[in-house]
Amino acid sequence: MFKRKKKAQKNTDGNQSYWAYVARQFKKNKRALFSLYFVIFLAIIALFADFIANEKPIICKYEGKTYMPVLKQYAVGLGLAKWPEAFKNGGWKEKEYDFAIWPIIPYLPNNLDYDAQWASPTGRQICACECTSVLDDECVESNKCGNNKLADCNKASSCTLKVIKKTPNWKEGMAEDEVIKYCKKQEYSIWRHWLGTDDIGRDVAAGMIHGTRIAFMVGIIAMGIACIIGIFLGACAGYFGDTGLELSRGSLFINIFAFFIAFFYAFYSRSYIMSDAFGVSFGKAIWAFFIGILIFLAIMAIANIIALPLNKIPFLGKKVAFPVDIAITRIIEVINSIPLLVLILAIVAIAKPSIFLVMAVIGTVRWTGIARFIRAELLRVRRLEYVEAANALGFSQMRTMFRHAIPNSLSPVFIAVAFGIASAILIESFLSFLGLGVPAETITWGKMLAISRTNASAWWFAIFPGLAIFITVTLFNLIGEGLTDALDPRLKQ
Amino acid sequence: MFKYILKRVLIFIPTLLVISVMVFLLNMYAPGDPVYNIAGIDPNSSKPLTPEAYNAIRGELGLDLPVFYFTMSSIAYPDTLYRIPKKEHKATLGRLINDHGNWEEIREYHRSIEALESRVLEIPRDSLNPKALIKIKEKVRGLYRIHEDIKIQKSLESMEKPIASAPSTSILQPFLEDTRTKYQTMVNNPTKWKTKVPTLNWYGFKNQYHRWFSRFVQFDFGKSYQSKRPISEEIGERIFWTMLISFISIILTYVIAIPLGVFSARKKDTLADSTVTTILFILYSLPSFWVATLLIVFLCQPEYVDWFPPYGIGDPAPDAGFFETFRIRAYHLILPLFCWTYASLAFLSRQMRGGMLSVLRQDYVRTARAKGVDERKVIWKHSIRNSLLPVITLFGNIFPLMISGSIVIEILFSLPGMGQYLYQAIVAQNFPVVSTIVMMAALLTMIGYLVVDILYAVVDPRITFD
Repeated sequence: MFKRKKKAQKNTDGNQSYWAYVARQFKKNKRALFSLYFVIFLAIIALFADFIANEKPIICKYEGKTYMPVLKQYAVGLGLAKWPEAFKNGGWKEKEYDFAIWPIIPYLPNNLDYDAQWASPTGRQICACECTSVLDDECVESNKCGNNKLADCNKASSCTLKVIKKTPNWKEGMAEDEVIKYCKKQEYSIWRHWLGTDDIGRDVAAGMIHGTRIAFMVGIIAMGIACIIGIFLGACAGYFGDTGLELSRGSLFINIFAFFIAFFYAFYSRSYIMSDAFGVSFGKAIWAFFIGILIFLAIMAIANIIALPLNKIPFLGKKVAFPVDIAITRIIEVINSIPLLVLILAIVAIAKPSIFLVMAVIGTVRWTGIARFIRAELLRVRRLEYVEAANALGFSQMRTMFRHAIPNSLSPVFIAVAFGIASAILIESFLSFLGLGVPAETITWGKMLAISRTNASAWWFAIFPGLAIFITVTLFNLIGEGLTDALDPRLKQ
Repeated sequence: MFKYILKRVLIFIPTLLVISVMVFLLNMYAPGDPVYNIAGIDPNSSKPLTPEAYNAIRGELGLDLPVFYFTMSSIAYPDTLYRIPKKEHKATLGRLINDHGNWEEIREYHRSIEALESRVLEIPRDSLNPKALIKIKEKVRGLYRIHEDIKIQKSLESMEKPIASAPSTSILQPFLEDTRTKYQTMVNNPTKWKTKVPTLNWYGFKNQYHRWFSRFVQFDFGKSYQSKRPISEEIGERIFWTMLISFISIILTYVIAIPLGVFSARKKDTLADSTVTTILFILYSLPSFWVATLLIVFLCQPEYVDWFPPYGIGDPAPDAGFFETFRIRAYHLILPLFCWTYASLAFLSRQMRGGMLSVLRQDYVRTARAKGVDERKVIWKHSIRNSLLPVITLFGNIFPLMISGSIVIEILFSLPGMGQYLYQAIVAQNFPVVSTIVMMAALLTMIGYLVVDILYAVVDPRITFD
């Protein structure tokens, strides 16, 4: 008993040492290691975007009670709690708090700030002051005050100023010079738009932070879908080859027949249910699709049970090989034959804009690379002794494949995923740059970059979002390179 | 060799067929009614097409044919549903069949609406009924589009009042009553089980897909929704620019990238190599739409410097001489060419460096050096040929590039090429153009793969095709 346990321990040690070796190799590559840390940092930003850029205070004391609005926002979003009366109508910044800690960027990407249109990161950009016409009508008539901005007001010396936006430190009845002083101070306070704004005063910094979340989501979900499809199909192609999957004639016939029946009941007769669900929300559509897959699998399973007695008949029981490899490589070839971007553009063009659809489309198109990697790996692995041993022990083919063969062939998939995330992020930003596929209210890096085309003097739109895309893509590419070097067996000596 | 090519071409055919079915499906699920699109009339406008005009265009487009060689459906669906002219009527009828399953009654109901509509159209406008008539018309047309029980009931009810309001419209009363009874019979005699029984309908070769694909093979791509001109004509005008730019760009890429890669590989681990490698890596990761945006914003705008024109290909006077035309065109094409070239340049150089490095490790290179062959000869004669494989792979990409072009560069710099054509078609939902370009891109990609495979064999005699 003891001995066996020890042996098992040793075995996992051996298993770990391969990954320990890979980790060691990876750590040697300073650029890749740095990129990994940077990506983790960005992932943390993406995860805590609501705490970094938000219109609500993180903690505030209002009318004697302490609230944590950002945390509460999640509870409200999940339907677990309701906003108290005081906060129901928003207006977070107009309230007079006893005490408040604001996020580093006190804006949401969709918040409009009409006092700061096209505010430049380097220029003057205040905001909370406005001309009044009480003292000097001439000032307003001659329109010296321009857009009611402090910058213009200072030139028109005869104007009086008043603060209209109540920010936490401002008090009623401030003298004029005090107001100006306060405004100047405030210009470099947390209310400043550090990276500028667009034509309707949306904060660029907030958009950058929340854009990180979307970019990461696109990369991870798209590659997640690609991995599921790619690993499964690639593994089937590699493991079974053209001769590995033997079916009796009866099963083959029934499977082909059942495929159509299952398709009919799972998807065709439910097509209206699914399209209605898609009209409601993407989550509902996924759920309807998932139920469809369950029905499909159930019918296929029933068909295979029916096939069992049929196989006793000599003619139907004779085994034939199903050319899995040919079938799957053909599918890969079909998808690879259409230029990726053209295909994605064409699909996105006919569907309703949705960020999840973009993820799903990228995922369902980008799996071929992963499938090819894992196919090549399994073609090699299936000849190894331990797979033969597993077969000799009488394990089912599925078990051998999923429990023994696939876990040992996953390393090239990591490389493909790292590069894949980079290209998924690139494709998504490209699509939103063109204004395709992503709904209007979602702020992404690509969309912000596109704003620079409408106003060339707003250089901050040309630089910051593009830089974010570039850095993220480069980091994932560097990690991919590092993994390639670390996993490459040729470097093992 | 010939046998191999023949085999590859034969393999193409099923792949191309599958792609064509996919593209055709994309076309089928595209929103909007193609008949209205080609007529350039908004279906909700006050003057919709007359049924005769509608059917004429429909026949011209072949939309009166069944969709595919066969369809799988339930026995509740009649195999003649495709004969219903309008797309939105078909969609509603499909819904009704799915909900009730009794085609006979549904058809009766549909016909009763048609009868009602034709009577409504016959009523002349007089002073007593102007508003009521418009309202009735709207409601009757609306009936074609709704399938939910509550909505239909409501719609039928709401028609009663305007019909009774004027003597001229009250003759519609029996027709409305007829529609109502037909609707009730339909609802009361559902055969929903029929929707659960699958069946296969065979339509033969006279179908929309067959028609579309056989015309595509003969380079008849149909008409563009926007300009109403044949798509092949429009492509002919635009393909020149895409081909020209991608051709120049490929030449530039090869001329710069191959020596650069070789240089970098020879000087491995020196400062020069690491500088070149780093720069190439950065170039490789730079998104071209960002670079193009930066160039347009900072080099083409009066706010900063306007050294270059921000868009277009220039407009030389028709009587301008060759050199003048060339100067204007070149001036406009410098920035697009730069953006078009740098990414593939970086990619190719990196591949070339990698390929060269692995070749330089080979025994035969060491032998050549050992026997005192000049280093230059070792590189350019012994090694280069074997490190050319990645370079050839890129060559295969030229073919699809002719069609899809570098979409983003053409859009950003407003070059009248294929990429911009595709983008405009997508934005305007001009699906005949989209599907044509997708098909051509796929076709050329496959040709590219074939050319690459043949070139591999030419460069590396060790690769055989048997």
